[in-house]
Amino acid sequence: MEKSQLPFLAVAALARLIKTKEVSPVEVVEAHLERIERLSPQLHAFLTVCHEDARRTARAAEQEIAHGAYRGPLHGIPFAVKDQLYTCGIRTTAGSPLFGDFVPDEDATVIAKLQQAGAILLGKLNMTEFGTTGFSHQFSTPRNPWNLERYTGGSSSGSGAATAACLCATSLGEDTGGAIRFPAAWCGVVWLRPSWGRVSRYGLMPGVWSMDTLGPLARSVTDCALTLEAIAGHDPKDPYTWNVPVPPYTQALDGNITGLRVGVVREQLDTDLVQPEVREAVRRAIAVLRELGATVEDVSIPLSTHTGAISGGLRVEAPMRYRMLLQSRLQEIGHDNRIGYLTGALLPAQAYYKAQQLRVLLRQQVLQALEQVDVLVQPTAGLVAQPVEPDPIIDSKTKTNRLSWLLTTTYSLANCGLSHIMADSRQIIWRELLRSLCKYSLRA
Amino acid sequence: MQDLTKEEIRALGHAVGLEIREPELTEVTYSLNALLEALEAVNPAELEHVEPLPILLPSA
Repeated sequence: MEKSQLPFLAVAALARLIKTKEVSPVEVVEAHLERIERLSPQLHAFLTVCHEDARRTARAAEQEIAHGAYRGPLHGIPFAVKDQLYTCGIRTTAGSPLFGDFVPDEDATVIAKLQQAGAILLGKLNMTEFGTTGFSHQFSTPRNPWNLERYTGGSSSGSGAATAACLCATSLGEDTGGAIRFPAAWCGVVWLRPSWGRVSRYGLMPGVWSMDTLGPLARSVTDCALTLEAIAGHDPKDPYTWNVPVPPYTQALDGNITGLRVGVVREQLDTDLVQPEVREAVRRAIAVLRELGATVEDVSIPLSTHTGAISGGLRVEAPMRYRMLLQSRLQEIGHDNRIGYLTGALLPAQAYYKAQQLRVLLRQQVLQALEQVDVLVQPTAGLVAQPVEPDPIIDSKTKTNRLSWLLTTTYSLANCGLSHIMADSRQIIWRELLRSLCKYSLRA
Repeated sequence: MQDLTKEEIRALGHAVGLEIREPELTEVTYSLNALLEALEAVNPAELEHVEPLPILLPSA
């Protein structure tokens, strides 16, 4: 195989070649670095590329494997991470020049775990400022590999672009209200938002404490499962990680969905917020599920139509995190965050209390829906990828919710695990994993 | 519910250590009023009996 073709392989395929020594981790890393150099001027997916560290780690991996010390399916696999995660000795910006000189002295737990599994860090990926789900970038705006005039989705914008463009074999993003799901949907890759507490957040520069999660973006379900297996589990450094066993995700990929009960969330599909072509793509995916043996029925999550208001009521969490910057360096914060954080900072306590109550009811409704079915199906975003545009000025109350068509927040508020499979593909073969995400994760 | 005025928004900001001036003041006024209005409109019957638990952790 030609070296230039290596970045197009899935993690599982690369792993087989590396294990059998048909390909060296050095060749794999070089092929990815070449591709990053060539495509970065168009895609703006990376904020920092770790050329020399990656090459040094690849040489070490090559030696280990040559001496029979193969660690497993991620050994020698190149990955990249959203620049919201601490990397020892490597600049970590959270997408803001305000952290342009911040160099952590330790790795986030998820990065340490991936490196322990033998994966090789290629670099830090672009993101919206502070990881706010939306459009606002302070360095450069990543472009959608499928159409450079279109946006990737955010906040894990670089993770979506880099993964879709094969600049890395797998990547990590961070998801608060949809920040993994949104770019993955618009860039056409597989994502997974683990349940809150399944993956350590130690070393994450936080956004909204009660909704932030870390998860993989990859080009196949198997690659997502491999990445999740490496990063999931209890972490003594993060007291909110669950001290319960991690299911063997890759073993669940048996290809059989016969009898799987699929619930279509009607409020999230039959709404004006969903474009006809998006609705049609979801209907085609549902037809594929039915064809493969699943039973399909409608379910209702009534409060899912109010998640903008409910999550809005929790907006105080991020500005509390960055309150010193709001007080002293307000004009250095991007427009969308400046307005959003000031708004959140002024929220009355009664509004926050009510939003938390509504969140409990919403979670109960999600659980009730999952009593009825095994998995839920709905669009991730109501719109197809949109053009790259500057932040709009808010000049009326009706223009305050720029992302009303992003249909992800229900499950952030419910703290439950989710995955996304491209609506047009037949990769919807994830029975036990989906079940474990939806049920085990909420109840374990 | 009556909208908050710009002066009230400015005073709220002052109370939490934030001096909010134009052009942000106008945008924040729209934004906060829209948010409070949206929350005000959501009143499921069972709401008053619910405890505001932010997250759900596994028992063991």
